[in-house]
Amino acid sequence: MKFSLKLLLWTIMVIALTLGLSGFYFVNYVFETALEREIDQALDENSILRFAFETAALNVPVKYDLLSDGSIEQIASNLETGSQSASRLLRLSDEEKTVLYASDGFETDDALLLQTEENQYSYRVIRLGERFYVQTARSVDALGRVLYLETLRDVSQVFEERDMGFRVYRRMTVLMLLLGSVIMYVISSRLAKPIRLLMDATKKMAAGDYSYRAKQVSSDELGQLTQDFNHMAEALENTIDKLEDEIQAREEFVGAFAHELKTPLTSIIGYADMLRSRKLDEEKSFLSANYIYTEGKRLEAMSLRLLDIIVAKKGSADLRKVSAGSLFEYLRSMFGMNENMEFVYSYEPATVLADFGLIQTVLVNLVDNASKASEPGSRIEIQGHRVQDGYRFTVRDFGIGIPEEEVSKITQAFYMVDKSRARSKNGAGLGLALCTEILALHGSKLEIDSTPGEGTLVGFLLREEGKEAGDEEIQS
Amino acid sequence: MIKILIVDDEKPICDLIDMNLSAAGYSCVAVQDGIAAIDAIEKNTFDLVLLDIMLPGADGYDVMEYIRPYKIPVIFISAKHEVRDRVKGLKLGADDYLIKPFDITELLARVEAVLRRYNKTESRLVIGDVEIDIEARRVTRAGNPVALTSKEFDLLLLFVENRNVALFRENLYEKVWEDEYYANSRTLDLHVQRLRKKLGWEHELVAVYKVGYRLEVK
Repeated sequence: MKFSLKLLLWTIMVIALTLGLSGFYFVNYVFETALEREIDQALDENSILRFAFETAALNVPVKYDLLSDGSIEQIASNLETGSQSASRLLRLSDEEKTVLYASDGFETDDALLLQTEENQYSYRVIRLGERFYVQTARSVDALGRVLYLETLRDVSQVFEERDMGFRVYRRMTVLMLLLGSVIMYVISSRLAKPIRLLMDATKKMAAGDYSYRAKQVSSDELGQLTQDFNHMAEALENTIDKLEDEIQAREEFVGAFAHELKTPLTSIIGYADMLRSRKLDEEKSFLSANYIYTEGKRLEAMSLRLLDIIVAKKGSADLRKVSAGSLFEYLRSMFGMNENMEFVYSYEPATVLADFGLIQTVLVNLVDNASKASEPGSRIEIQGHRVQDGYRFTVRDFGIGIPEEEVSKITQAFYMVDKSRARSKNGAGLGLALCTEILALHGSKLEIDSTPGEGTLVGFLLREEGKEAGDEEIQS
Repeated sequence: MIKILIVDDEKPICDLIDMNLSAAGYSCVAVQDGIAAIDAIEKNTFDLVLLDIMLPGADGYDVMEYIRPYKIPVIFISAKHEVRDRVKGLKLGADDYLIKPFDITELLARVEAVLRRYNKTESRLVIGDVEIDIEARRVTRAGNPVALTSKEFDLLLLFVENRNVALFRENLYEKVWEDEYYANSRTLDLHVQRLRKKLGWEHELVAVYKVGYRLEVK
C-alpha cells in the first residue's frame, strides 16, 4: 500500500475513534445529568404529592379510626386532576401492596412497589411502549394506615435529546472525517513527495540512467535521505564511469594489441608460405626470409615490452637510495656512442628514492623517444633539478613535437603519433605506457609539454631522500 | 593487363601481396598511406583496389568514400576482425573483406572472384590444349568436351589460379571439400589422379614430396 494512503487511513481511523469516543462521552454525560435532574424532580413531586395526600387525609371526616379505601380513592382521584399540569400519573396501594387506585396509563409491574418498605422511597427508570418514565415509590402515613404512593414522570424528552445528540454527533463525525480526509490527503501526499521522487530516481537508476538525481523538496529526514541518496548516486556514477573508462581502455588495448600482433603475423605467415610453396629466385627468397626475420624481431620486441608492462603493473618497486649522479652517468655511457645527437647533461647532485633499474628504463625510453623525434645532429637536454616537492628529471628535445590533441593519448599502449615513422624505427608504441606504469610504482607520473615543430619537454618528479615536507602528492 | 592498387602502411605486407599478385599475372602498384592512394587513383586507372583500414594520412574508410564515384571494386584487407568493422566496410561499398592474417591462396581466390563479378577477367582460361569456361563450368581438351565432377572442376580451378605454386594437401582439401583434412585421406589423391587422366596432365600435375601438388606450366 502506498505510504500516503497508509498515512491517510491511519489518521482517519484516529480521528474517527477520538471523535466517536469523545462524542459518546459528552452526549452521555449531558444525558445523565438531565436524567438525574428529572429523577430529583420526580422524587420532589412524589414528596409534594405525599404531603398533599396526608393533608387531604386529615380533612376527611372520620367515621372510623381508619381511613377507608373509598376515601383514599377519592383523594387520589382529586390529586390526579387537581394539579395545574395536565395530568399526573399516580398509583396508591395499601399495606399489603394491593393497588387501591391507579391512574389511566399507569401500567407498570409491581417490582418497584414490592421492594419499597415502610418509610422508604425508591425509584427506577422504565420504558412503557415508546416513552420513558421515572417511577417513584414512597410510603405514606395517613390516619394510622401505611399506604404506598407511586408516581410516573415522563422523561422521554431526555432520551430523545440523547438520541438527537448522538445523531448530531454522528453527522458531525462524518463531516469531520470527510474534511479531515481531504486535508490529510493533501498533507500526506505532500509528506510522501520526497519518497515518490526518490522512488522515481531509483527506478531511473535501475534502468541505467546513472546521471539522474532526485529533487530535494524538504529539509527534514526525508530531505536528508534524498541528499544522501544523491550523494550515493554521485559516487555510483563516478565508479561506473571509471569502470566504463577502464573497460573501454581495455577494449582499445585488446584491439590495438590484436592489430599489432596480426600485422607482423600476416607478413611472417605470408612469406613463409611463399618460401615453402613456390620456387623463388635468390633475391626474392632473401627478401622473404629477411621480412620473416625482421617481423619476428618486431614481435619479440613487442612481447618483451608487454611483459615489462605486465611485471611493472603487478610488481612493486624496490625503492632505495639512488644518487641522481649515477643515473646520469649511466645515460652518458648508454648514449655516449651515439654521435648523431648532441646530448647535454646538467644536474644538481642529490639522493632520490627509486628503483635504479626501473628508473633507468624510464630515462632511456625518454631519451630514446627524444632522439627519434629529432633530426640527426640536434640537441637533447637532459637535466636534474631539486624543486620544492622533490627532484625533477627532464628531457627536452627540439624535434617535431606532439600535436596538442595527441598528448593525452601517447601514454596509451600501442599508440603512435606517426605510425610509419615509429615503425621505421622499430617502435611498437609501448615505451611511454611502460614509463607510466613504472612511474606509478614510484608514485609519480609523466608530465609532457610539447609544441609541434618546436620540440617536447618530458619530465617527472621523484621523492628526494630525507625530505619529507610536501611529498604527500607523491606518496599517493 | 589487370592493374591492382595495393594500399597498406606496412611495407612487408605490400611487398607480399605485390609479389604474389604479380606472379599470378597482375600488374601492381603499392602505396603506404591514404593520401598517396588517392593521388594514385586520380592519376591512373585501376581494376581493383586492395585497401587497408588503419592508414596514416587518410584512413581506409575515407579512401573508400573517395574511390566510390570511380566505381572501382575494392577489397578491404584489415586486422580489424570484428563484425561491425566488416559490416561498415561492406556497407561503404567494398566488394569483399579479408582479415589479416590471410592465406595467399585465399587472397588470390577473392581477387579472382571480385574481378570475375565485374567481368574483368577472362571467363575462359587456356592452358595448353585445355580450355576452361569458368562461367559455364565447362572444360574442353583439344575441342572435345571433358566430363568433370563438381569437385574435380573446383580442384582444377584452384590449380589453374595458383599456377606453379605448390599447394598443400590440407589446403586443397579444405578449399574444395570445405571440411577438415584427415592425414590418411586418399580422396584428394584419387581426384588428382582422375584429373591427370581426363586432361592428359600426367607431367603437368606434379606431386611435391611431403607437401602436395603443383601445376607446372610454362
